[in-house]
Amino acid sequence: MLRQLFMNGIITGSIYALVAASFALIYQTTRFFHFAHGGIYTAGAYFAYMLSVPFGLPKAAAVAIAVIAGAGMGVFCDYAVYRPLRKRRASAMALLLASLGVLVVLQNTISMFFGDDLKTMRSRHVAEGISILGANITMVQLGILGATSVAFFALWLVLYRTSLGLQVRAVANDAELARIAGTSPDKTITWVFAIGSALAAGAAILISFDTDLTPNMGFQALLMGMIAAIVGGIGSLWGTVLGAFFLGLVRQLAVWKLPGQWQDAIVFLVLITFLLFRPNGFLGGGRRPRSF
Amino acid sequence: MEYALHIVVLAGIFSALSISLDLLVGHSGLLSLAQAAFFGIGAYASAIITTQAGQPPIAAMLVGMAVSASISLLVSLPSLRLRDDYFVLATFAFQMIAFSIFNNWTGLTKGSLGISGIPSLALPGNRGPASLGITMASVLMALFVWSLSRRISRDAFGRVLHGIREDEVFVKSLGKNTMYFKVVIFAFSSALAALAGSLYAHYITYVDPTSFTVMDSLLIISMVIIGGAGSTYGPIAGATCLVVIPEVLRFVGLPGAIAANVRQILYGLLLVLTVVMRPAGMVGTRPLQ
Repeated sequence: MLRQLFMNGIITGSIYALVAASFALIYQTTRFFHFAHGGIYTAGAYFAYMLSVPFGLPKAAAVAIAVIAGAGMGVFCDYAVYRPLRKRRASAMALLLASLGVLVVLQNTISMFFGDDLKTMRSRHVAEGISILGANITMVQLGILGATSVAFFALWLVLYRTSLGLQVRAVANDAELARIAGTSPDKTITWVFAIGSALAAGAAILISFDTDLTPNMGFQALLMGMIAAIVGGIGSLWGTVLGAFFLGLVRQLAVWKLPGQWQDAIVFLVLITFLLFRPNGFLGGGRRPRSF
Repeated sequence: MEYALHIVVLAGIFSALSISLDLLVGHSGLLSLAQAAFFGIGAYASAIITTQAGQPPIAAMLVGMAVSASISLLVSLPSLRLRDDYFVLATFAFQMIAFSIFNNWTGLTKGSLGISGIPSLALPGNRGPASLGITMASVLMALFVWSLSRRISRDAFGRVLHGIREDEVFVKSLGKNTMYFKVVIFAFSSALAALAGSLYAHYITYVDPTSFTVMDSLLIISMVIIGGAGSTYGPIAGATCLVVIPEVLRFVGLPGAIAANVRQILYGLLLVLTVVMRPAGMVGTRPLQ
């Protein structure tokens, strides 16, 4: 039982990790909470659902198109809403408010077109899982773990082994200095939104192969991603991963001892505890949150 | 007549809510995503205390406000000493938790069934429409909350809040304990939201968790920003507008399921457009920074 919960925690943790890392990536370069990320997450899952179930496209094609569409939405959101605000040197609060507006529009558009009932793109037949370390794990869940690992490795490669990654880290460190050094922060931020939104859409699609879709799935995922990023240390890529697995495990272990509906309350307690005793998270260190 | 009064009641309740949030957003530069949660705490306190303990509405209202202010400390004390972003996150988390408690603590809140049979506020000796009493109560409450907020914002206390909004470090350098001011105004704002919630419960005579979701928090934020944050009449103008718009849409005759979504999309678009194109809001004078 405990081993099974542990395994479940790892799987939900891997999804939170993608959301947390993509959220933290955008936060570090733009310095505001991009709430619309939750809307893009939901949109990614529904795109994949729409293309693969009613339109009957092969799953691989549907997933690829949905991830690209998610990235496009993130870039459009930055271009149409955030960039004018940045040009005006608007505060982080103004950007946050605008992103809340975008979130409301996205979520309700999805709910209007697809309805509020559960949608599913899981395969019909339930495959017998395989047993690892005494815990049962289905092939789909194994696939989720594999895909998130690949996504993380790709993100790490981009951030630490390419010149784009260098620019992203430079903007995260100090946008003004990055501009003086001859890079274009706006262009870098466009890339950040593309990569971050693709990761969020990807995470949503992955989880949709295992659980059902609802229009407000993004809120939950966003909240967990944000808390995971804070718990792990928002300035550190591996910190967000650590925070996400920690959160996934805490939620599963809470089920072990308490009725299921208190999962969320436990997560809130985790957040408050960290804000009180370790506001920079596991790997945040220092007095000021680090940048990537 | 009943219909017109219904709109006036809602406008009053939402005006009071918007003004309470504006004390944070407009005057102190803090953003709370949990205003609907505190609204709900007030509503549930009234519902539970009047139906289960049989106490009069006034007592229930006061208890609700006290509970709401106390719970606000749970959110503000850990998060407000950090960057403002962390406060937003803590309120967001609290909003999600509050909804799950309203929805799941069936022993106290009856879960998704909701609590019905809450006594409505009747006007003694009233021979006009039944809702005349609650209409007057609602308008009076909005006026009361408005004059309180006006009083605070012109007071020495309000000047410190405005200072925190503009430059917190500078206010600290003047020897003010900014943490204290932020915690107090958040507790105060939460108590006022609970007051509005209590009136709402006595008006609708039924509460269920769906009225207190994160979407409702976003609606209240939209009201403040669209009307004009930190301005004298902004929150009232925003609340009234966003209460009236759906009533106008009703005459367009959209199917029920879609109408709710169209309304929300409209609010969201208005919020984005206001922030990007008209940061001062409809009637505001001070553009959002």
